[in-house]
Amino acid sequence: MTLITILGLALIMIGLWGMLTQRNIIKIIIGFSIVDTGVHLIMVSIGYLKDRTAPILDGAVDKTEALSKVVDPIPSALVLTAIVIGLAVTALMLSYAIKLYEKKGTLDINDFKELKW
Amino acid sequence: MVNPIYIFILALGAGFLLSLFDKAGRKVSMTIFYAVLAGMTAISAQWFIALLQGAEPTLIFTAGFKPPFSINLQMGMEEAFFTLLVNALGLLSGIFMMKKLQSTKVNGMILFLMMIMGINGLIMTRDMFNLFVFMEITSIATFAMIGIERNLKALSAGFKYVIAGGIASIFFLIGTIYLYRFTGVLHIDSMAAALDMASGQVAFLSVFILLMALIIELKPFPANGWALDVYESVNSGVVAIIASASSAGMLFVLYKITPLLNDSLLLTVAGIGLVTFVFSNLIGLKQQKAKRLLGYSSIGQIGLIMAAYAFLVHLGYAQNSTTVMLVTGGLFITHFIAKAGLFWIAGIVEKENLEGWSIIRKKPILVFVFGVFIVALSGLPPFPGFFAKWQLVMTLTSKGMIFVTAMILLGSFFEAAYLFRWLGKVLKTESEEYEIKATITQWIPLSIGVLALLGVSAYFSTLIPGGASLKILYLPMLLIVALFFLDFLPAWVKNTIVILLMSFYTWQLLPGLEGYRFLFGIIFLVGGVLLFIPGYIFKGKRVGFYPFAVMMYAGLAGLLLAENTLQLFTAWEIMTLGSYILIIRGKKSEPHALSYMLFSIGGAFIMLMGLGLFYSVNGQSFDLALLGSITQSTGIIFVLLAIGFLTKIASMGLHIWLPGAHGEAETDVSPMVSAILLKAGMFGLVVLMSAIQNPMIGNVSITYVMSWLGVITVFGGNLMAIYQEDAKRLLAYSSVGNLGYVLFGLSLMTHLGWLTSITYALNHFLFKAMLFLAIGGVVMRVKTKNMYEMGGLIKRMPISFISVLIGIIALSGVPPLSGFAGKWLTYNVLIEKGWVLQGVVLIIGGLIAFLYCFRLIHTIFLGQLKDNHRKVKEAPIAILIPQVLFIFAIMFFSAYPGMVLRPVGDFLAKIFPQGAIDWQNGVAFTAFGHWDGLGVLMITGVIFMAVFGWLLLTNRKTQKVKQFNIVYAAERPSRPELTHVGYNFFAHYRKALGVLSKPYAEKFWDGLSGIFHSTAGFIRKLYTGNGQTYLVHIIVFILVVYAFAMGG
Repeated sequence: MTLITILGLALIMIGLWGMLTQRNIIKIIIGFSIVDTGVHLIMVSIGYLKDRTAPILDGAVDKTEALSKVVDPIPSALVLTAIVIGLAVTALMLSYAIKLYEKKGTLDINDFKELKW
Repeated sequence: MVNPIYIFILALGAGFLLSLFDKAGRKVSMTIFYAVLAGMTAISAQWFIALLQGAEPTLIFTAGFKPPFSINLQMGMEEAFFTLLVNALGLLSGIFMMKKLQSTKVNGMILFLMMIMGINGLIMTRDMFNLFVFMEITSIATFAMIGIERNLKALSAGFKYVIAGGIASIFFLIGTIYLYRFTGVLHIDSMAAALDMASGQVAFLSVFILLMALIIELKPFPANGWALDVYESVNSGVVAIIASASSAGMLFVLYKITPLLNDSLLLTVAGIGLVTFVFSNLIGLKQQKAKRLLGYSSIGQIGLIMAAYAFLVHLGYAQNSTTVMLVTGGLFITHFIAKAGLFWIAGIVEKENLEGWSIIRKKPILVFVFGVFIVALSGLPPFPGFFAKWQLVMTLTSKGMIFVTAMILLGSFFEAAYLFRWLGKVLKTESEEYEIKATITQWIPLSIGVLALLGVSAYFSTLIPGGASLKILYLPMLLIVALFFLDFLPAWVKNTIVILLMSFYTWQLLPGLEGYRFLFGIIFLVGGVLLFIPGYIFKGKRVGFYPFAVMMYAGLAGLLLAENTLQLFTAWEIMTLGSYILIIRGKKSEPHALSYMLFSIGGAFIMLMGLGLFYSVNGQSFDLALLGSITQSTGIIFVLLAIGFLTKIASMGLHIWLPGAHGEAETDVSPMVSAILLKAGMFGLVVLMSAIQNPMIGNVSITYVMSWLGVITVFGGNLMAIYQEDAKRLLAYSSVGNLGYVLFGLSLMTHLGWLTSITYALNHFLFKAMLFLAIGGVVMRVKTKNMYEMGGLIKRMPISFISVLIGIIALSGVPPLSGFAGKWLTYNVLIEKGWVLQGVVLIIGGLIAFLYCFRLIHTIFLGQLKDNHRKVKEAPIAILIPQVLFIFAIMFFSAYPGMVLRPVGDFLAKIFPQGAIDWQNGVAFTAFGHWDGLGVLMITGVIFMAVFGWLLLTNRKTQKVKQFNIVYAAERPSRPELTHVGYNFFAHYRKALGVLSKPYAEKFWDGLSGIFHSTAGFIRKLYTGNGQTYLVHIIVFILVVYAFAMGG
């Protein structure tokens, strides 16, 4: 396990901790973002190969030798998609926060318990 | 053929351009919106049809590479079927929401398209990461769609959903990336192959994490509070998509990744599904809000599908084997259509509470649609869910998974309980207003949904193993369908049609029946025709009566014809369903019909267990003829089947539904369900006991236990009958006692015993039909069922009086009428067996019968005529005709018992060759004596005439006592009914018998239901409503499941 992976895991834990302990909806959303970032870190770390360069075919990397010179490009590609999706989800969460605040004038998650059982 | 990729191109293209088109006007954009949905549906439909006709499944490659190096989509049979369902539902739900979509911004339509497209992607893609992307597209579109709602409840539910969905997708991402690390591919099919080589603890963990993400999306108990909130609060059109289409997509993903799962993970999925199914339905018992209840039911159904699927795959059935397809397919399609339909109705009704739904009561078509969905969900025939459950139980029991089967049936029972309670409330609760504004755009999806469900049902029933044998039910089913369409006709027309067609059917059917089947054929079908005659008293249309009455008889006819267990069970359930609707028609029948249904369904499930066991020990055959030749588990199979049948004949302990159900039913329904329907249970017992003659569990003879049950039933039923003030309930309790004799006779397992039993059954059929008709006529005229409010009716209703008189003479078993035949045989049997103790109880029970019989005459027909009854008329002729026919039948049976009992004895001799009655010139001889029916009749008749004549002569000078001749001596009555001598007539017996008269059975069942409800009330406190708590549930759930998966 690389250091990056461990860092990623740590971020996930911190984020989860935030989501579970903070009452404020905005803080919960921040917690979610931290978890998301942790996951992205882990994804990048999986594709990383020591002493290799970015998987971009330009002057620095010769096409014929690319296979032995670059890191695994797939996780990098995936992480881009994941970041975009994470952004969308976060944006959606925040718009929910706005609407909820408009309706009830509070951001405490304990105040939204109309539905239960 | 159109490339399936156009499904995405259409949706995405329209999604981007819709806001542009919207500038040209909402009409333009809406036209495009619906055209796109229709186009997507058409593409799937086209593929589905092509694949059905044998076309090859196709793969769609992207980016010019072949998998595993590129993303590819697959369109095979399963994909075509699922996308067709999803797209069609999308189109219908879109139509349903037309008004809503018109009034919101164009975003609503765009999001809707994205939602449907995302689900299509979930189904078609073969790439793991692509799966994640489509999952997110679906989720984000759904979240945003919920966010469009203006109300706080929907918004806060939506936020909880986003949090839960967000966490699930993060887990999915982690699982995916680690799987990629271990396998080097993202292509699902290659991944499974590569995983085997790389399987280790960490690889297992990554599959586990991926699986958990998926499971969370499938809403496992208890990590599903957020989903319940969404179901409760969000717009019905959207929830229909979430509950049916999104779940379909997620289930399909589970189907796709199954090759990745090892056995312990499969069992984990199965366990989660099972727990979810049982607990969701248990908690559903407590739920009062309609949409939330539908949520519990949805979650439960998805759990059941998961469990069934995973258990079957675990048992070694291939993922796409016929068994798996039939079971999961049947459960799924039922849930899919019925749940969407119910959510749509929720959108029309717009009432939060279950009772509020009774505003649809006055709209027969809407009630019908609602009823179809409810019945389909509770797993009754003819819907696919029933056959799927049948197939599942047969398969699981034959593989020895008894506990799992029992749990599935328990969960199904809970579900049926709350669904039928709801149906009852809708049918019976009075509402202040009956105004419903359903637009045509709301009707279109509903009607298509209900027609699709019925069509699928008809087709599905032919697919299952043994399904071809169900054609015995086709003819009556056709009549039922026709009657639904003819329901607008006046009652008398329908009555005539039914009588004619049923007579014809009976005439065709009866000659082909042999032995006891012929006898029961007479009771079920000839009796059925006779009891339709009173139907002419009803004015108007009598909406919804005839289809269900015929359904009950169709089930009964099916029983007669049944040669295999599938036919038997299907007919049994059809009969149950029809009779439930008949029973609930009574004014105050709601709680009683429910308890009838619960006992019936519970009994049927126990029976189903027994049939499953039977299937597993007889070499996996449905053939009923093998019942006699099984060697393993005979005792337990016997007991399970017998309990099922005993619920229908209302043996003591299982009887509590009967008094209300029979007593509160309509005038002509009471005799139907009492005289005829009760015999269905007896028919089952006869089938069972003629095959398995000496069932034992350990050293205990089961038939001996049953004989005591019969004796106790006689005593208890008769005893409770004497305390009734309500004439119809008195008759109902008396049926309990009478069927006790039937049970006792059967459980003797001798020729004479069975002859006794059949005599009782025939007798009960005749006199109970007559009594219920006569008393029903009286009740109709005097408008009360309380006997103390009647009196002196002999002068106003003489023919009814004669029926009741004949009826009670036959009932009480005194000479000269046919009841005495039963008594005489009983005593012969008791002497034959030497059972003194049982004999004593039976004799006391018989004596008690005199007490209540006496009341029917004394309190109703004799004494003073009430002032307000001075002008009542005799009962309508339509009620009297069958009574007179029954009187003739009883007279004939009494005078010539040999004519009936000899043929019965002949076929009984095939089952019990020993101890037959010797008939000489119509006189019966047994080892202990002889009995001459005609002679007894004549002697009694002569004595009666002599005494009667003498009384007429000598009593001419008696002074008639009128009401003013009576004064109160010392007591001053505190309540009006106390002035009547007939009120609480047998109070002194109640006091004297003390503990024996207490309603233990009611207490027991009340207590049991109380335990279930309070457990449900306790468990559902888990769902606090706090989004954070729900998050904790998810995390804890995953940890606990991990511990189990590792430990197991």
